[in-house]
Amino acid sequence: MGLEYVRISPGFEKYMPRDYVDLVKFGQFGREVDVMQLGQFKELVEEHPMCAGCYMAYFIRIFYAALPKPEDTIVLGTAGCARLALSQAAVPFIYGNYGDTNAVASGLKRALSIRFPDKDKDVVVIAGDGGLMDIGFGMTMHSWFRGEKFTTIMVDNEVYGNTGGQESGMSPKGVQLKMAPLGKKFDKINAVQLAIDAGCVYVAKISPTNPKKIAKVVRRAIFAARKFGPTFIHAYTSCNIEYSIPTREVLADARKREKEDFKFFEWMTDEVKEYLEEIERKEKERKKQEVKS
Amino acid sequence: MYFVAHIHENECAKYNCKQCVLFCPEPNCLNYKESGHTAWVWTDRCKGCEICVYVCSDLLKRNCIEMVMVKAGD
Ligand SMILES: Cc1ncc(C[n+]2csc(CCOP(=O)(O)OP(=O)(O)O)c2C)c(N)n1
Ligand code: SF4
Ligand code: SF4
Ligand code: SF4
Ligand SMILES: [Mg+2]
Repeated sequence: MGLEYVRISPGFEKYMPRDYVDLVKFGQFGREVDVMQLGQFKELVEEHPMCAGCYMAYFIRIFYAALPKPEDTIVLGTAGCARLALSQAAVPFIYGNYGDTNAVASGLKRALSIRFPDKDKDVVVIAGDGGLMDIGFGMTMHSWFRGEKFTTIMVDNEVYGNTGGQESGMSPKGVQLKMAPLGKKFDKINAVQLAIDAGCVYVAKISPTNPKKIAKVVRRAIFAARKFGPTFIHAYTSCNIEYSIPTREVLADARKREKEDFKFFEWMTDEVKEYLEEIERKEKERKKQEVKS
Repeated sequence: MYFVAHIHENECAKYNCKQCVLFCPEPNCLNYKESGHTAWVWTDRCKGCEICVYVCSDLLKRNCIEMVMVKAGD
């Protein structure tokens, strides 16, 4: 962790894989990129085995491009589809046992604050609906009750995608899945309200239809967690396999859900709001200066 | 054989657009050339999902992306 760890030692450039050299020369380390520059810099996440057209993979792609300080970030994941891409990124990744992510992240964040008291080290959990709201429910909730200062992102595909289609607490009522043929009998859990009630200081719900908006939410959640407490993003990230969405229609589906039950929602405490406004004002000024010079 | 996206660069260059690049799920797969103002596909990374075609043809009606079959090594 840290820029020194990323740099290639002099004389070794010619032995390093091309992708790594590109990462150091044309990547995100030590400089902030704008997500609108995607396709014009070397991204942190590499090729991975997630399915064609998977919008969880898309969300993860935008997440990495949005990181304010990738060289000072640790990502935690667990069993489930997301880890297939999270483990292919040039950001340290810890694989928590299924359900344990928020307990591991709590300890990690506390240790980092003791080891690096004067530095911001960002800890982000990215896990599925099953990992966070079913099997890891207790640990997710208790990390929020305790006010642990890290970000939790739930990539909600409304199913246990990685194990072939069992229903989760986040599946919509009535939905039939391959391994839940009778249809779901109870409502989708209101994760966002739980997060607010449990003490998160910044909470957002988003469908991945606008990369700029995803990036803004990711950055806000990370900045707020540095100073004030737990933050939570609930992202709709469809599973085209288990929900039989033709891949060409995946973005159309995300747009449709945005108009229905995934309308953009954002909530934060007053002190977080003030703090974020200040950061974003400074960012704008810095960008203006860059354009001038 | 692989099914991959192919950009008609001469067509794409007319628009100064970049929208498909922002919605491809794969990293560094659909890229953008500032010099020619055109999107381009790193074929090895393309999984053939056609989300870019949805963006370019269905949403924007620009029809600059065609899905084509390629063989390993093409
Ligand atoms: C303790 C434990 N129980 C069960 C499993 C098996 N398992 C692996 S992934 C998974 C479900 C994943 O669902 P979700 O968290 O929603 O992630 P998705 O694959 O849908 O992204 C399960 C039950 C496991 N790895 N560990
Ligand atoms: S099974 Fe579903 S969530 Fe998992 S990688 Fe495939 S499309 Fe994505
Ligand atoms: S959406 Fe179409 S016109 Fe726009 S950059 Fe992509 S290929 Fe070119
Ligand atoms: S077909 Fe899918 S993976 Fe290939 S370039 Fe288009 S959006 Fe990207
Ligand atoms: Mg899931």
